[in-house]
Amino acid sequence: MIIPRTIRRLQERRSHRNGPWADLFESYDGDEVISLDCETTSLEVSEAEILSIGAVRIKGRKVMTSDRLDLRLKPPASLSGDSIKVHKIRASDLSDGIELEDALEQLLKFIGNRPILGYYVNYDIRVIDKFLRPHYGFGLPNKAIELSHVYHDIIKWKHIGGDVDLRFDTIASQLDIPIIQRHTALGDAITVALMYVRLKHGQAPVDTH
Amino acid sequence: MPDSFKMDNIPFSLLDENEQALVRSNLDLGYYQKGEKIITAGEVPEGVFVILKGRVLESEAGDEQQHVYVHYEDEDYFGGWSALRGTAIHDFIAEEETICHILPTRVLHELIQSNALFADYFQQTFSAKTEIVAQHGKGQDMTEFMLAKISSATVREPLVVEQGTTIQDATRLMREHKADCVLARKGGRFGMVTGTDLLDAVVLKGQGLDTDVSEIASYRLITADLEDYLFNALVMMTQQQIERVVVMNGQSMVGIVELTDVLSYFSSHSHVIGLRIERASSIDDLREAAQGLNDLIKALVSTGVKIRFTMDLLAAMNGRIMAKLFDLMIPSDMQPHVCLIVMGSEGRGEQIMKTDQDNALIFRDGLSWAQMQDTMNRFSEMLISFGFPPCPGNIMVSNPEWVNSVGDWTQKLSDWAETCEGTSQMNLAIAVDAKPVAGNQALFKVARNWFLRHLRNNDVFFSHFARASVEFDTPLTFFGNIKDKGQLDIKKGGIFPIVHGVRTLALEHRILATNTYKRIEALIEDGQLREKDGKDIAEALSLFIQLRLRQQMRRVEESDDGFDPTPNLIELHQLNKMDRDLLRDALQIVKAFKKHLALRYHLGG
Repeated sequence: MIIPRTIRRLQERRSHRNGPWADLFESYDGDEVISLDCETTSLEVSEAEILSIGAVRIKGRKVMTSDRLDLRLKPPASLSGDSIKVHKIRASDLSDGIELEDALEQLLKFIGNRPILGYYVNYDIRVIDKFLRPHYGFGLPNKAIELSHVYHDIIKWKHIGGDVDLRFDTIASQLDIPIIQRHTALGDAITVALMYVRLKHGQAPVDTH
Repeated sequence: MPDSFKMDNIPFSLLDENEQALVRSNLDLGYYQKGEKIITAGEVPEGVFVILKGRVLESEAGDEQQHVYVHYEDEDYFGGWSALRGTAIHDFIAEEETICHILPTRVLHELIQSNALFADYFQQTFSAKTEIVAQHGKGQDMTEFMLAKISSATVREPLVVEQGTTIQDATRLMREHKADCVLARKGGRFGMVTGTDLLDAVVLKGQGLDTDVSEIASYRLITADLEDYLFNALVMMTQQQIERVVVMNGQSMVGIVELTDVLSYFSSHSHVIGLRIERASSIDDLREAAQGLNDLIKALVSTGVKIRFTMDLLAAMNGRIMAKLFDLMIPSDMQPHVCLIVMGSEGRGEQIMKTDQDNALIFRDGLSWAQMQDTMNRFSEMLISFGFPPCPGNIMVSNPEWVNSVGDWTQKLSDWAETCEGTSQMNLAIAVDAKPVAGNQALFKVARNWFLRHLRNNDVFFSHFARASVEFDTPLTFFGNIKDKGQLDIKKGGIFPIVHGVRTLALEHRILATNTYKRIEALIEDGQLREKDGKDIAEALSLFIQLRLRQQMRRVEESDDGFDPTPNLIELHQLNKMDRDLLRDALQIVKAFKKHLALRYHLGG
C-alpha cells in the first residue's frame, strides 16, 4: 500500500513521540543544516545498496568540516560493475567498512532534527528510509532542502526563457565553487554545502548563458 | 577535510603525519562575500585562515583600502599572527568572494607546542623564514648541489682485458688508452687491476712480467648504481679507502668513476675558467674563456649555489677578464698613469648575467697620450665582442665624457652632486659605486676620498640623493591586480629602493665598500642599521635577484636570439606559492625600509 509521504510522516511522528528517537521529530528552529550525500550501487531506489555516507554540518555561513560524518559501509553483495563505473568504488575499497546498522545510528545522531540538504536529496532520503524503516519503524522525518531548487529559484529571475541547466557541474561552475573530491560522499556533501552557503549568503550569480 | 587542503605547502608541510591529521580533522570552511570583513581589527580571530578560493586583503583598521599591506590568494594563509596574539591589529577583507579553510586557534597552539619548526615559521622574522625554507624547500642552495647523480659526472669507459693477458701487455694497453686501471675478465667475473697492483706484483712480490693479470686482480668490486648520488660514491670511496667505483646500470657495467672526477665535479668548473683567463696570451684566447662564463653561470644557478656567492664569483671573473684585456691592449708604459673603473651593478659586484658595460677611465692630470681615445674605442668594441653589451646610456670608455683626468673627474662628481636634475643624480649614483679593476688604483682612490670628504655633512645633498629610492611605489598593490597584470617590475619595486637606499646611507657614513651586502654589513657594524633589519634587507635583495635571474634564464632560453627584452620583469604566474609568499614578505621589508629612509632624510610626502 502506498501511503503519501506526508501522511506517513504524521503517523510516524505520532507513534514515536515518546520513543527513544523523539528528538528527531521535534520541529527545528536553529540556523544549522546538514548536507548529506550517499554513494549507492544503483540509481533505482529499490535496487540500491548504500556504499558510503557523507554528511557535514552547515552553521550560518560556515561549513563545519571539522564536524562531519564520513561512513564507509561493508561491501554489499550486489556491488556490481555498473556502479563501480559511477562511483569508482570497488569492493576492496570498502573492506574495512562498518555495518549498516552502526552507520544508520551514527547518521541519525548526527542529523538530529536539522533539515537535510542535498543534490537530488529525495533520492538519498528514500534510500536511507528503505533501510531505516525495517530497523526503526520510521523514515527520516527531517525537512529536506533540494539544492537544485534553491539554485533554480534564484537563477530563474536572471534567466530569460529556456530551461535552467541543473547539472551538478554546471551549478558548481555557475556559482564558481571548486568541486571537492567528486564522487566521494563526503566530497559531494561539502561541495553541495558550499554551493548552498554561496546561494544563501552571496549575491545571485550572473548568468553567463 | 579531504584533499582540498594542501599539506605540501609550508608551513603545514613541516608537520608530521599525526599533526597533519590533527589539522585535517579540525578544519572548517568559511564563505565570505565580496567586501566582507573576515577578521576585524581589535577582535579575537577564530584562527588561521587558508584560502581555498578567492582573494583577501590586509589593511590598516578603519581606512578603506587606504593602506593595503598585503594581498592573499590561493593557498595563502593569513591571520596566524593575529590568532597567536589574541587580537587582530589589521582588518582582513574579502576582495572577492572567498572560501577559506579555518584552523581554530586552539589547534594552532597545540601545533606550536608540539612542533618547534612550525612554531618558528609562524613566529620568526623574514630571514629566519627563508632559512627554514632553504633547509626544507626543494631545490635550494647546497642541497641540490649534493644531489647530483653519478650519471652527471664523468663516467670513464673501462679498459677490459681477457684472462691470460700478461702484466706487460696490460701495462702497455693502459699506457695506450691513458687509463690507470684495467678490468680483467675471468670467466663471467671482472677483477680490477690498478697501477699500484701492477707495481706491487712486479716490484714487491717479484712476479714475472708474463704473469696473468687476472691472478693479481681484486674481484671484490665496489659498485654503485648509475642513478645513485655522486655524493654517495664519494662517501663509499672514503669509507673503503679506494679511488675507483665501478658504475652499474642494473646488471650491466657502464664504466668507472674516479675520485678525481668526483672531486673536480664538486669543486665546480669556475677554477678552470679562471685559469684560462689568466693564461690567455691573446685577445682571442681571452674571448673564448669569456664565453665559457655563461655556461658557468647556468651551471651554478641550476645547481643552486647561493646567489650571493654566484655574484661574488662572477664579479671576480668579469673583473679579471677586463683587467686581462686592459693588460693586453694598453701599452705598458701608460698603465701606471691610467685607471679603469667599473661602475653601477658591476662596480657593486651584483650583476649575474653579463650586464651592460658601465666603465670609465681616470688618468693622471697632465698626461699626454695621443691615442688614448682610439685605444678606448677599441677597448669598448672588444668587450662587446666578448659578449658584454654596450651601455644604452653610453656610459663607457668609448665616450670621451667618461674618460677624465683626476681633476676633471672630481669636478664632475661635485657638479653632479650640486645639481638635482635627474641625469646628474643618475650619473652620480652610478659613479659612486665605482670600483677600480685595472691600472693605477691610487688615481681612483684620490678622487673618491676627495669626494667623500666633500660631501660630509651636506644634508641637503643626501636628502635629494635619497629621494630616488622612495620614488617608485612598492608593488604590493600589484597583487591586487594579479589577474589582469600578472607581472611586476622587480627592479623598480624591490631592487632599486634597497640598493639606492643602502648606497645613500653608505655614502653618508663614508663606507668604502661598493657591494650592497658589504655596505649593509658595514652599516650594521657602524650602528646605522639594526642587525635584524640589515639581515632582512639583505635576504630580501637576494630573493629579488634570485627570482629575477630564474625568470631571465627561462626567457633567454625561450627566445630565439638569446636576448631577454624585459630583464626586470617578474611574471607572477610563474611563481609557486612559496615564492609568492616570500616575495610578498620581502616587499613588505622594502616598504618598511623606505619608511625608514623617508624619516631619516625628511622625504615626507
